[in-house]
Amino acid sequence: MTFNDRIFGVLMIVLAVAYGWAATQFPEPFGGAEAVGPDTFPKLLAVVLAISSLYLIVRPDPDNAWPWSRTGIELIIAVVVLIFYAMLLQPLGFVISTTLAVGTLCWRMGARPLNAYMTGAVSGVVVYFLFSFALDLALPLGLLSFLEVN
Amino acid sequence: METLGYLMDGFGVALQPHNLMFALLGAFLGTLIGALPGLGPANGVAILIPLAFSLGLAPETALIMLTSVYAGAMYGGRISSILLNIPGDEPAMMTCLDGYPMAQKGKASEALAISAVASFIGSLIATVGLILLAPLLANFALTFGPAEYFALFLLAFATLGGITGKNPIKTVVAACIGLMIATVGIDNTGVQRYTFGVLELFEGVDFIIAIVGLFAISELLFFIEERAGGGKEKMKVNKLSLSWKDIREILPTSFRGGVLGFVAGVLPGAGASLGSFISYTLEKRVLGKKGYFGQGDPRGVAAPEAGNNGASSGALVPMLTLGVPGSGTTAVLLALLISLNITPGPLMFTQNADIVWGVIAALLIGNFLLLILNIPLVGIFVKLLSVPPMYLLPIVTMVAFVGIYSISNTIFDLYFMVAFGVGGYVLRKLEIPLVPVILGLLLGPEMEKNLRHAMDISDGDWMILWDSGLAIGLWVFAGLGLILPYIVGPLLRRGMKGTTPASGSPESD
Repeated sequence: MTFNDRIFGVLMIVLAVAYGWAATQFPEPFGGAEAVGPDTFPKLLAVVLAISSLYLIVRPDPDNAWPWSRTGIELIIAVVVLIFYAMLLQPLGFVISTTLAVGTLCWRMGARPLNAYMTGAVSGVVVYFLFSFALDLALPLGLLSFLEVN
Repeated sequence: METLGYLMDGFGVALQPHNLMFALLGAFLGTLIGALPGLGPANGVAILIPLAFSLGLAPETALIMLTSVYAGAMYGGRISSILLNIPGDEPAMMTCLDGYPMAQKGKASEALAISAVASFIGSLIATVGLILLAPLLANFALTFGPAEYFALFLLAFATLGGITGKNPIKTVVAACIGLMIATVGIDNTGVQRYTFGVLELFEGVDFIIAIVGLFAISELLFFIEERAGGGKEKMKVNKLSLSWKDIREILPTSFRGGVLGFVAGVLPGAGASLGSFISYTLEKRVLGKKGYFGQGDPRGVAAPEAGNNGASSGALVPMLTLGVPGSGTTAVLLALLISLNITPGPLMFTQNADIVWGVIAALLIGNFLLLILNIPLVGIFVKLLSVPPMYLLPIVTMVAFVGIYSISNTIFDLYFMVAFGVGGYVLRKLEIPLVPVILGLLLGPEMEKNLRHAMDISDGDWMILWDSGLAIGLWVFAGLGLILPYIVGPLLRRGMKGTTPASGSPESD
């Protein structure tokens, strides 16, 4: 099967065209047009990308299998965990969000739940103390801010 | 003689207690990174960069620490080759051939010690080579004009896939993607490009975020896909009994390997994997029947290790003198330089002499530190092999989050990093190499600047790009870099096969 490279090639050509077209819409820089304006380099790139993507479509490599079914779901879970981690880092605080994120990732990768969340909690606390005391950097405390000692 | 003076000054910098301490820390962390499953050198250095920033280290200290990490990772990569027959990184592939048989014969600790000595000799030779060659090359590079630089950057991209690379067109595609991302932001004439009015994009995409995302996050996803979360069983290593004679026996081999490795490291398109491959095959040919290669010959361990460590120090030559890295890890080191506001290239040798020579001196010192660390402490690193990735990788990911968050304290950067991670995973699935993407991100602004300068000089005449003999030479080499893989690649790859296939680790030599 050689779908991957072909689809990717088509996507890249779309990108190249959109990117190149956007370059023609740049406003003229202050002080008048020059031999090489802000649009020249992007246009060059668009051309090179379009040509090499064409090659990929014409002579694609054999596919690597995509992980469908369960593994694919695991991957999506992992990405969702990472997004939630970023989202909850400030509201929940570093220690709690790390416990949840690292714990869930360890668990989904095959660790037993208790071990997984313990790893998350311990690593979160250790890194928190390392950052706030040894490196003098403030990580958000979030829900745990009542513990803060001034 | 001038060089010697600079080198002495360099030692002055490197021997300052705090620099020495960070070199030691870097060497230790590096070996750790090399030994841990699922953490390659490029990956490890990338994650440490934001931390070096948050520590507020002086430029020379940060660079000394991270080059020590780089050197250390090259030492660490061999451990799993020897004990588990799984190369810790791609260049360590050849070490499996004789290292694993030695371990099976109950001579694991001898193999580890021999490879440490060979690594030391290889690095030492290459560092001396670096000291001799770098100033010459830097002087030569001073004659480059903008047109030559533009061609040089093209050469760097063209040869990045290496002559063993599979599909050079994919390297081109990857480089284009990287360069395109680099054009996002306000350019130097004040025009907004591809910002879509998003404030966070006005200053462009921070390449540190991109690098950490591409390497660290995509690695996590790969491990999840391969369900390779379980650890290896505990390794037992016999007591070391190494005589002076054993070491003397591998000296000539290590010496040859180091020299070959250095050459392979300096040349564009060769890289550490080829360095270790060439030195192994040459050694096999030189010794012929006298050796028992493939069945646990100590020289078969020494040759590739000397070769790959020689190559990794050799790879610093183009990075330091021309600002053109030839591999993933040196590209990450370049990222560090650029974000420290040091312009890499020939001028660095005059403008930032203390930094350059401090780093070179630190490499020499780091080698001794690594040898001292590696012989007695090898037991600790061996234990690390049994750390299961299912605990390790989530923690590494968390460290990456903390590192990126600590640079700017914004959540936007974290989303961006995750997006780059997913993108990196897809690209790796399609066998689009990631290193050209990163190099494009790093070199994009410089490349465009040189193109503009060249055009300004010639008043818009594109012929200036081919106007000097030097520029034509660079263009020819760039062309060869794209064409040769089609001819030589299949032959060389066949030669390198027969060992265990490299696992899903990113191309990092």
